[in-house]
Amino acid sequence: MVYHIYHNTQFSYQQWVSFSHNLVRLKPRNTPVQTVVDFSLSVDPAATETDEYNDYFGNHLHHLLVREPHALLNVIAKSCVAIDKEAIEALDIRRELSLSLSVEEAMKRLSYRTPESIDAKQYTLRSPLLVPASEGLEAYARLSFHPERSLYLSIQEFMGRIFEDFKFVPGFSNLSTPVDEVFEAKKGVCQDFAHLAITALRSLGLPTRYMSGYIETIPPKGEDKLFGSDASHAWFSVYLPELGWFDFDPTNNIVPRDQHILLGFGRDYSDISPIQGVVQGSGLSHLNVMVDVSREEVKE
Amino acid sequence: MFERYRFSSPYDEMLDSEKNIRPQWQRMFENLDRLGIEQLQAKQKEIDWRLEDNGVTYNVYNDPSGISRPWRLDPIPFVIDENEWKMIESGLQQRAKILDMLYRDIYSEQRVIKEGIIAPEIIYAHSGFIRQMVNMKKHTSAALRIYAADMARGPDGKMWIINDRTQAPSGLGYAVENRLTMNSVMQDLLNDISIKRLYSFFESFKSMLQELNPHHKGEPLHVLLSPGPHNETYFEHAYLSSFLGLTLVQGQDLLAKNGGIWLKSLKGLRRVDAILRRVDEGYCDPLELRSDSQLGVSGLVHAVRKNGVEMVNPLGCGVLENLGLNPFMPYLARYYLQEELILPQIATWWCGQKKERDYVLENLERLIIKKIDQSEGHHIYDGKRLSKEEVQNLREKILKEPYLFVGQDEVQFATTPTLIKDSIEPRKAVIRSFAIAREGKYDVMPGGLVRVGATNDPLMVSGQTGGSSKDLWILGEPGEFPSINLFKPKIGAESSLETIPSLRAENLFWLGRYLTRAIMTARMIRITVKYMANAYRYDQRFNPVAQNVLRKALTHMTMSYPGFLGEGDQEVKNAMEEIWSVTAYERRSGSLSYTLRMLSGANTSTKNLLSLEAWRIFDRLEREWGAFSKEKQPIPRSMISGLDRLLIQLMAYKELIKESLFTEQGLTLYEIGERIEHSLLLISKARSILTLSYDPLGEYEVLETLLGTCESLNAYRAHYRSSLELRNVTEFLLLDIKFPKSLISELDHLLKAFPHLPKFRHASYLSGYEKPIFEAFSMLRLSKIDVLCTLNPDEYIRSELDTLLSEITERLIRASNELSQTYFAHYYE
Repeated sequence: MVYHIYHNTQFSYQQWVSFSHNLVRLKPRNTPVQTVVDFSLSVDPAATETDEYNDYFGNHLHHLLVREPHALLNVIAKSCVAIDKEAIEALDIRRELSLSLSVEEAMKRLSYRTPESIDAKQYTLRSPLLVPASEGLEAYARLSFHPERSLYLSIQEFMGRIFEDFKFVPGFSNLSTPVDEVFEAKKGVCQDFAHLAITALRSLGLPTRYMSGYIETIPPKGEDKLFGSDASHAWFSVYLPELGWFDFDPTNNIVPRDQHILLGFGRDYSDISPIQGVVQGSGLSHLNVMVDVSREEVKE
Repeated sequence: MFERYRFSSPYDEMLDSEKNIRPQWQRMFENLDRLGIEQLQAKQKEIDWRLEDNGVTYNVYNDPSGISRPWRLDPIPFVIDENEWKMIESGLQQRAKILDMLYRDIYSEQRVIKEGIIAPEIIYAHSGFIRQMVNMKKHTSAALRIYAADMARGPDGKMWIINDRTQAPSGLGYAVENRLTMNSVMQDLLNDISIKRLYSFFESFKSMLQELNPHHKGEPLHVLLSPGPHNETYFEHAYLSSFLGLTLVQGQDLLAKNGGIWLKSLKGLRRVDAILRRVDEGYCDPLELRSDSQLGVSGLVHAVRKNGVEMVNPLGCGVLENLGLNPFMPYLARYYLQEELILPQIATWWCGQKKERDYVLENLERLIIKKIDQSEGHHIYDGKRLSKEEVQNLREKILKEPYLFVGQDEVQFATTPTLIKDSIEPRKAVIRSFAIAREGKYDVMPGGLVRVGATNDPLMVSGQTGGSSKDLWILGEPGEFPSINLFKPKIGAESSLETIPSLRAENLFWLGRYLTRAIMTARMIRITVKYMANAYRYDQRFNPVAQNVLRKALTHMTMSYPGFLGEGDQEVKNAMEEIWSVTAYERRSGSLSYTLRMLSGANTSTKNLLSLEAWRIFDRLEREWGAFSKEKQPIPRSMISGLDRLLIQLMAYKELIKESLFTEQGLTLYEIGERIEHSLLLISKARSILTLSYDPLGEYEVLETLLGTCESLNAYRAHYRSSLELRNVTEFLLLDIKFPKSLISELDHLLKAFPHLPKFRHASYLSGYEKPIFEAFSMLRLSKIDVLCTLNPDEYIRSELDTLLSEITERLIRASNELSQTYFAHYYE
């Protein structure tokens, strides 16, 4: 099975921009589950310089320098990502294995110094957008975690509680809305739920990272799917000592298997924002994003 | 002179516990004694005068008046014996080496973390750990090229390390200036004393920079990246760049493209080989680092990634300014160098470890608590000065993120003799010493910057809180004598018009524009006030039309709309009140005070090109105008005399600019700015006054006043020998090429100034900024005065004249924009 992803970002500026550096993170990374088989990035006006490299976290980056005067910048990324069924099955097995790891045991093992646990350590610390959890949020999270209980199931239950207790309400929050406010209001969007879960789990000492990508949406029965009706998506992933990272999607209360396509991950949104740009001159910009995710079954 | 010298610390530099003079202080004591307190005070005065005369200052952040504080230097140096210094020197070399190896390790394999020598949080939780730098570059030699450390003598008599400075250490320039001042003033203290010279250290500093030439193409271009004139140590940036031969730049002077960094200069873009940075690393690139930074260069990190530019020190060094490392330094010494740590440090407990955290929490009330990361404000808590509640808050903070905190013992540092008013008293002192990486080892400066506290407060001394500084004298063989005068500012680096940074050129251009605008606005207001004050002098001649025209001209010229053009609700009720507002209210865009503020900005940015006299006159102008403009609305007579005073100062300042600026330094740009502004304002006046028609009496008055605002009444009379006529005045002010202040003369001069600009091409076609001026010039030249002065029966303004002037304005603005594009922005290169 492959996914075709179309991601169009449009910046409109109030003033003409004649020199702008941009960082673009729109090429999905490869994982055991997904392989990028085709990718194209087109920019209008065309970039005079384009560079490609991987960042600290291993995410793909494009660095673009646009020097043609413009008031509108259009970036279109098209990806084709193949999903490996066998890898998903292997992941299911790993998940089964993880069930027996208790919270208490996990905490003990997290303090062992292995290359993986050292790397995971940085996902327990504060990050550019996420300050340590308030007492209230920590207490809220702790309800699902008992020392002798399975860590995996605890996280799963915690994910379910977010899904139950919080309403999906677009427009309430933006990138700078603190987690505490989302926790108070009990509403937000996928990014808020991911940030909230990350903050809460870090306060318990669990290495948790921010996952950015897409999710396949299925239209209600009898309706056709409209092109461009999808959106970017965000979820979180937790490191279980000696077992690796496991993904959870609190917005949909599901464990990602073959409907999630990962762009990249980081400590929080700021490490993996899809497009960052610095334009010379003042003036606000307006952003328009259109995403489409479609599945194509391939005979194997 | 030592009557008030009482111990206030367990250790003193001069006296041992038995109150005997220590051997290294013996001769200094004798010299001081011979000099006597009165002489010493006189020396202090001379030092103060010299430092002020050389313009040595230290800006105080957050000071609303933005005033820079004079640098202070104590006449009594800090003395260190040669043998002790050898030990300190090797200790500093060792520490620099450890930190350099640590830098290279954590930005590549991170063995030190993987092998458990230090805990990951010490690095990962520090804001100076820049993830982009990991595996970016292979360092075959030292990455940490400049290292500085703050030291103080502990109660055991040993020098202790207090802080490491690895990002962009400041103080070097002040240390040099201190030494030069001591050399010229304090020779008496050098009687029978021989001290180490600084010469060879700076020679090797220069060689280190010279070798940074990643492209091996011709003469390398090195810049000193400064946050700008408002930074606390800007004096030093200007000073260092001048004697190290670096071009002083700000972020806006540079741009990133083609995998490199380029300096925008008048001639065009020039490739930068190395950046000595004085901007904190988080602020160096708004694209990849702090997006709110105004001080950096967008794309800088990428240029480093592409190996296109060298940074001294490299990005990411900030993580080494890390108190969390302190307890682990002995282990790091063994790990990297198989050595024992030479210089002691303050006992430090890192709260990331359980045992240490418990100890700190138990002893919160007596320890000094600091954040491992001091880059975002100084987080220092003195346990014994905290209230119960504050202690509780601190405890919670530590428990929440223990790895961000350390606890330190409070230490009584040693005191050293310092001149305080009329006696010598003991004061605590902190030494900043410097080392640079050269050929596989670190060269340590045989001297340094010593800071002493304003009071004897045991908490740290800092430049921000007042206090004074000292020269550091290392006793011993002086070393090499300089063959050339190293510390004389190097001329040549920036002496040609082609190489001056675009930002400075742009500021000169604006200096010309704002200064002209300030002068012309002040004159216009002055004459309007005077006219109004004299309005009732001759009963019959009171002329409301003339008054109205003048006031409206003032509003147009300052663009302080609606002003006197206001109708209905917005109509001005009290004319003097409105004029005072346009004069004094700094927040009102277009007002004289507003223009002076803009001028002040341009003055600050071009300060290091102007003479000291020019600074002084401007400082005085700002002070006096500041006081005057904050007064309640004065009576017309005082208003006029205030404006007179301002005008005299502005004219003096203008003269000094012309005297101190060479053509190579950008005088041309200043003059172009001046002429463009003068033309625009002259047109504005002409449009409000010359396009209207008046009765004969009104016409006479208006024209007389107009010529008065141009300071041209006498010239007109000499030329025309006739009474004032609208036709003649129009011809004189706009079309007369023999009158140097006429519009056409200004345009003519502009056309003649352009060929002096570096990118000017003597081509068949006109350049983008030349063409509009050429057109404007031709339009004026081809005009016929009678046509311009015609007033059609169905019109109330002379439309031919008005149209012509508006078209010329449009062309002047176009030329100004084109100039900016060509010389200041460089986006198209």
